[in-house]
Amino acid sequence: MSLSTAFNVITSSFTANAAQTSVVSNNIANVNTPGYSRELANVVTNSYGGADVASVIREANAALLEQVSSSTSQAATQQAISSGLATLAQTVDDSSSTSSASGAGQNGAAPSAMLANLQSALTTYADSPTSSSAADAVVSAASDLASSLNSGSATVQSAREQADQDMASSVKTINALLNQFTAANNAVVTGLQAGANVSSAEDTRDSIVTQLAHELGVSTLVAPNGSESIYTDSGVTLFQDIPRTVSFTPTPTLVDGTNAGAVTVDGVPITGADSPMPIQSGALAGYAALRDTLAPEYQAQLDQIAGGLINAFAETDQSATGLPSLPGLFTTPGAAGLPSMTAVTGLAAAIEVDPNADSSQGGDPTLIRDGGISDPGNPAYVYNTTGAASYTGRIHGLADEIGATQSFDPSAGLGASASLAGYANASVSWLQAQNQRASDASSYQSALVTQASAALSNATGVNLDAEMTNMLNLENAYASTAKLLTTVNSMFSSLLQAA
Amino acid sequence: MTTVGAHFVSTQTLANSLVGPIMQAQSQLASAMTEMSTGEYANLGLQLGDQSGYELSLKEQVGELKALTSGNSLVSTSLSTAQSALQAIQSSAQTTLNDLAAWTQGAGSGAELQNMGQSALQSLIASTNATSGDSYVFGGINSAVAPMADYDSTPASAARTAIENAFQTAFGVLPSDPAAADISASAMQSFLSGPFAALFTGASWSADWSSASDTNTSAMIAPGQTATTSTNANQPGFQALAQGYAMLSEFGGSELGAGAQQAVATAASSLISQGVNAMIAAQAGLGSVQSAVASANSSMSSQLTILQDEIGALDNADPTTTAARISGLTNQIQMAYELTARLQQLNLAQYLPVT
Repeated sequence: MSLSTAFNVITSSFTANAAQTSVVSNNIANVNTPGYSRELANVVTNSYGGADVASVIREANAALLEQVSSSTSQAATQQAISSGLATLAQTVDDSSSTSSASGAGQNGAAPSAMLANLQSALTTYADSPTSSSAADAVVSAASDLASSLNSGSATVQSAREQADQDMASSVKTINALLNQFTAANNAVVTGLQAGANVSSAEDTRDSIVTQLAHELGVSTLVAPNGSESIYTDSGVTLFQDIPRTVSFTPTPTLVDGTNAGAVTVDGVPITGADSPMPIQSGALAGYAALRDTLAPEYQAQLDQIAGGLINAFAETDQSATGLPSLPGLFTTPGAAGLPSMTAVTGLAAAIEVDPNADSSQGGDPTLIRDGGISDPGNPAYVYNTTGAASYTGRIHGLADEIGATQSFDPSAGLGASASLAGYANASVSWLQAQNQRASDASSYQSALVTQASAALSNATGVNLDAEMTNMLNLENAYASTAKLLTTVNSMFSSLLQAA
Repeated sequence: MTTVGAHFVSTQTLANSLVGPIMQAQSQLASAMTEMSTGEYANLGLQLGDQSGYELSLKEQVGELKALTSGNSLVSTSLSTAQSALQAIQSSAQTTLNDLAAWTQGAGSGAELQNMGQSALQSLIASTNATSGDSYVFGGINSAVAPMADYDSTPASAARTAIENAFQTAFGVLPSDPAAADISASAMQSFLSGPFAALFTGASWSADWSSASDTNTSAMIAPGQTATTSTNANQPGFQALAQGYAMLSEFGGSELGAGAQQAVATAASSLISQGVNAMIAAQAGLGSVQSAVASANSSMSSQLTILQDEIGALDNADPTTTAARISGLTNQIQMAYELTARLQQLNLAQYLPVT
């Protein structure tokens, strides 16, 4: 081994040291960059015994990354559903803090609580049928019930509209992310062809996939040339060399019964009942479930309650001349007859107390006791034929009707037959159970995201102390190499002087 | 270079490890505080889930029982009013009966009979028109109209005119006519039990005497339990008393002979004693409703206690547990702050000599 070989070793040592120092510096600089994968310098012995940095390895972990994306998607779904349901659940909250708010009854403002208030008002009226203030109390309880259904329906509508807007902004985000992904993916592909370091482009790609996973469930596949394809969790291609177009047309007003548009990828719907490949997770799936399934189902229940109410308070023909039953205390504007329980769309939004019974609108509340609200002056619908002041047959009859079992449309999800009060309570149970489930699932999935992210960060992230230790090693190596250089140099000098 | 072992921890994980737990503990602390101050769970809906409807139905039952209980106090008032009116009617009838017996023994004047009848009839009408709140208690469901009209009014009441007409039809003269003195006791008897008695039943009674409805008021006194909460002025007791008093009042001071007057007194006495019995029966009837209301109230009040306990079991957070949770959470948060500060110190750079 000649002294000049020693010089070569020293040179390569300096080069390797510099390359490693650069890797350590890079790692330290990115210690707090989320999604940064730490780099490793791959040091090998070269042909004359020195050290070379053959390549820089990026510490990636595809399995953990996949886990982070999928738990992020699940958490986003549940969060979207949970926050939407929480809005709906506010309309049925009966805790003491909300019950003391103005306008709410003792048990909150849920339709079922308002129905109970109406029942109590009827009981009181039955005990003092001559009292006009008791009659007014029944009308005002009935108005509260009608407006509770109206506002419940309005809340459902605004929750659906909000979900629709959220879907629109989610789709916008997805398209923007796919465009960013194109640039990062191209950088990786061309970089690999040129043999350059593509770590930072790969980091960008991973981080975009994670962001994308928040909006909708995705899976990825890397081709041999390094190009990464993205599919939805249902298998629809979102990106393969070029981004696919995700499109969505928002529906600004979503009244009861309106169907809203689906999100499509290259024309294939990925949300809604008509989708052949509906997405399973991500915020988009959550918004779609809320907008297309959960909120409409609750709306259907409110409509059923409204329909049941109109039917329970209906006035039947008392003259035995075969006249049809007509809506009584509860009606809808312009109603010609009783609603059929299978076609009740829009009833909850439209239900009102018949002005004929409302003294504030010039009506006569004692018609509740006597009958004839539907058609004042028509004796066929008058129950109190003698005009007796303490006639309570009709009032007791109404109270019985509220408690009587009636038929409901089973497609609203609460069975086919129940009492009105029981149905209204079942609806509250249904809503709160969904709310509870979504909230529990949301906190569970959030915890999973935290764990998966920590696992990923531990597998691929930077530990400052480890890098500092490396740095000290490199410092010492540098100092030793410098010492070696001086020594070899003095050996050369001695050699030259001797010559 | 770096060895990645199973225990490798990235600096980011280390730094963030306490952020999540602190936030979680803080949000739990906030809801624990709410639970401490309100006594019930911070978010009832999330706590109860599909039990929410059950909890609401319990609250609704409480509301219904409270409405029924307060309604029952109205019913009780009206029942007590009716009871005391019946008592007054009965004691006035008893007094009249005693006076009649004394009159028969002492052979008093016709004017005495007439006075007896008049005052008793007035008191009967006044008691029958007793009100509770804005309702006439003996009106049946027609409670807005006084059940009995004034008898001694000017012009003569329909009831009085009908009696005079019946008398004239039967005997051809008015009671005030001196010719009435010829009417025999037996003729008078058959008039009283025939055409006169007919004036106090059925359609004539409803037309001339009573505006009450035959249908009694009824009220829900407990869930699913309806009770008849009044008696009405069309009951035979009222009719018998009115009949007895009216014959005394009309025929006592008349020109009738002593025999016929005696027949009037005898007939009246039998009617009034029928009336007394009927009043006692009516009182007993209402009394049983009163006791039904009282027992309904007491059973509803024990039901209310059970329901409220059940609601409390669902809604209320246990204050001891909450207090323990608050102090636990406070400790946890303090500890987390302390650790965060210490983790900041755990940095190799702090311990390296500056070169």
